[in-house]
Amino acid sequence: MKQVVDINRIFEENSAAARNRNCAVNYVSVPEDDFNDALANISGKNVVLISLFCVEDFNNHPGFSLLYVLEKRNYSNIVIVTRRLEQPSAGSVASLFPSACWFEREITDGFGVTFPDAFDKRRLFLYEVYPEGFHPLRKDFRNQPVVTRETIPVDSEYVFKKVTGEGVYQIPVGPVHAGIIEPGHFRFSVIGETIFNLEIRMFYKHRGIEKLAEGKTPQQAVCIAESISGDETAANAVAFCMAVENTGKIEIPKRALQLRTILLEIERIYSHLGDMAGMIIDVAFTKGASPFYVLREEILRMNNILTGSRFMKGIICPGGLTKDIPPKAIIELSKYLEDFTTRLKSATDSIYATSSVIDRLETTGVIKKELVNLLNITGPAARASGVAIDTRFDRSYGIYGDISAQFHKRIAEKGDVLDRFNVKAAEINDSVMLIHYLISRLDKGEICTGMEIKDGYSLSLVEAPRGQNLHWVNIKDGRIDRYKVRTASFCNWQAIEHAVLGNIVPDFPLINKSLNLSYAGTDL
Amino acid sequence: MANFKKQFLLYTPGITEKITFRDEEFEKLGSKLKAEVNSIFGRSLAIRELDSGSDNAAEIEMNNLATPYYDVERFGITFVASPRHADVLAITGAVTHNMEIAVRKTYAAMPSPKFVIAIGDDACNGGIFAGTYAVNGGADKIIPVDLKIPGNPPSPLEIIRALHGFMTVLSHRKTKHQS
Repeated sequence: MKQVVDINRIFEENSAAARNRNCAVNYVSVPEDDFNDALANISGKNVVLISLFCVEDFNNHPGFSLLYVLEKRNYSNIVIVTRRLEQPSAGSVASLFPSACWFEREITDGFGVTFPDAFDKRRLFLYEVYPEGFHPLRKDFRNQPVVTRETIPVDSEYVFKKVTGEGVYQIPVGPVHAGIIEPGHFRFSVIGETIFNLEIRMFYKHRGIEKLAEGKTPQQAVCIAESISGDETAANAVAFCMAVENTGKIEIPKRALQLRTILLEIERIYSHLGDMAGMIIDVAFTKGASPFYVLREEILRMNNILTGSRFMKGIICPGGLTKDIPPKAIIELSKYLEDFTTRLKSATDSIYATSSVIDRLETTGVIKKELVNLLNITGPAARASGVAIDTRFDRSYGIYGDISAQFHKRIAEKGDVLDRFNVKAAEINDSVMLIHYLISRLDKGEICTGMEIKDGYSLSLVEAPRGQNLHWVNIKDGRIDRYKVRTASFCNWQAIEHAVLGNIVPDFPLINKSLNLSYAGTDL
Repeated sequence: MANFKKQFLLYTPGITEKITFRDEEFEKLGSKLKAEVNSIFGRSLAIRELDSGSDNAAEIEMNNLATPYYDVERFGITFVASPRHADVLAITGAVTHNMEIAVRKTYAAMPSPKFVIAIGDDACNGGIFAGTYAVNGGADKIIPVDLKIPGNPPSPLEIIRALHGFMTVLSHRKTKHQS
């Protein structure tokens, strides 16, 4: 039998050395002939394809390289399999790793690399208005306005899956929705009131985040990372800066790490509060939702006091923070949070005491545990389905390694909307406790290391409120050559197509809110 | 009489908790705005929000306007579900190519007279995305814009302040038109 690269052994051999490190990555190159066998050997064995992206002119290979980012549950290291392409075409792995489906379509749009044997070859983020042969992430395209197509040829039109049969009808929803929400299209196939199939079409908000970062210095690019998703500003800014700092092997002052962690946890609090309010609003219980909105508004105001921005924009930079948080503001935060847990409890108690609300949340929108690895479902959505993953523990970064004994992963088993509600409520309390803990031990001193940007590439993983966000940065001549972002939302959106099956259409908004998916963070 | 009250206690109107947390400036602006909305828009200003490619922070602030701290419905401002019910289109984002058709259709679906307010730097002039491949670079590239509210994103207070300014302009326009 032919000997192929044993990816599983790479996990086994390097995991111990990688413990307590955020991103100890083993890059391994697999020859094209062995590629499918090497990946088939690990498929279904607790190995998750957490990202797949393309880089042009990477590591002295002038053409395209595909990077398959693999995570194995309970192993500390990450394996990135690099696949050097001789021509812009490769075999699809989507049947081995279903999460590859969107990744491959993304690569085809961005780089023109095709996957002839893929089961879904439709466009992803470039809509029909973009001309044929346009691939914005290629190096030969300079970022500038493009001329879009006035008329779209019939054969370029996007085709949705058709479900036919007696009594089946379709409900097209969006991109413009009834509420104040972001745009996306949902195509329901319905029998009576029950959802038989859902196909989502995202990427209406594709703004070209990755290309925009190219050619910028890391300092200039922080604001780009911040605008990936407005309510994940801190998580994305920290993830981006961590990748840059890893590249230069920079040590960050302790105080900066502590303050960053405080900001990350505040972000989790207000993000979860927004979801919980949203879930309750979507079952039309406005009175019950109001206390959550009140708390969230107060946190946004606190953000302004701490950082000068209600969304904490502009404070995180490579090397630490752009400015210190004054002691007075820290005291104010500490004081404000004193009765926070009590107030949250009274808000959640009023929900738990309302049987008509619980009736809507319970058994609704179940995400099956088996889907978590296949689709790389992450964050509270995975934890509520009984999968104990949390990047803060599994790949601790910043100072999470030092404080992980203070709290634990919040797990639920049923995977319905109520479980996600519960997990989020518990995580808010954890975050409040962590912030208190950090404030009581806050170091004095520097908040930023003067840093020299070094060339190289690096991966970073951060547990954003919605789940794990992945950033990969390649720096050449002090400027960003390639910036890859994969947010938790990008993965979790695919979960919703499964979570809604067998539910009724009016429960869709509720299921959607319980997953709290960022459209901006997906569409990039 | 006392018995009567006791008997019908259930049917007396409930008293909502007194809200102590509102800001003075916002309340003042709000009451001015209410008077303006009363005279210019016949007591109700219907706003349709449209995201054409923002980073979603502006949406959160727009949503906040309807939450207890601000609760702009008190001032006659409602966020409506359809452009067909709207006086004002509040647009965020730099108008991505993928959203362009939807933006045009949404604007076309509004009855006249109609106004467009661009909210946030991206909608005002493209922001950091200006001149790049995926966006048109500002709402006014696609539809006529009557008011721009810059910010990354503008806060609820800033949005209300700008709306008040806009009403002042409209009321001048109205008096001029009548005289």
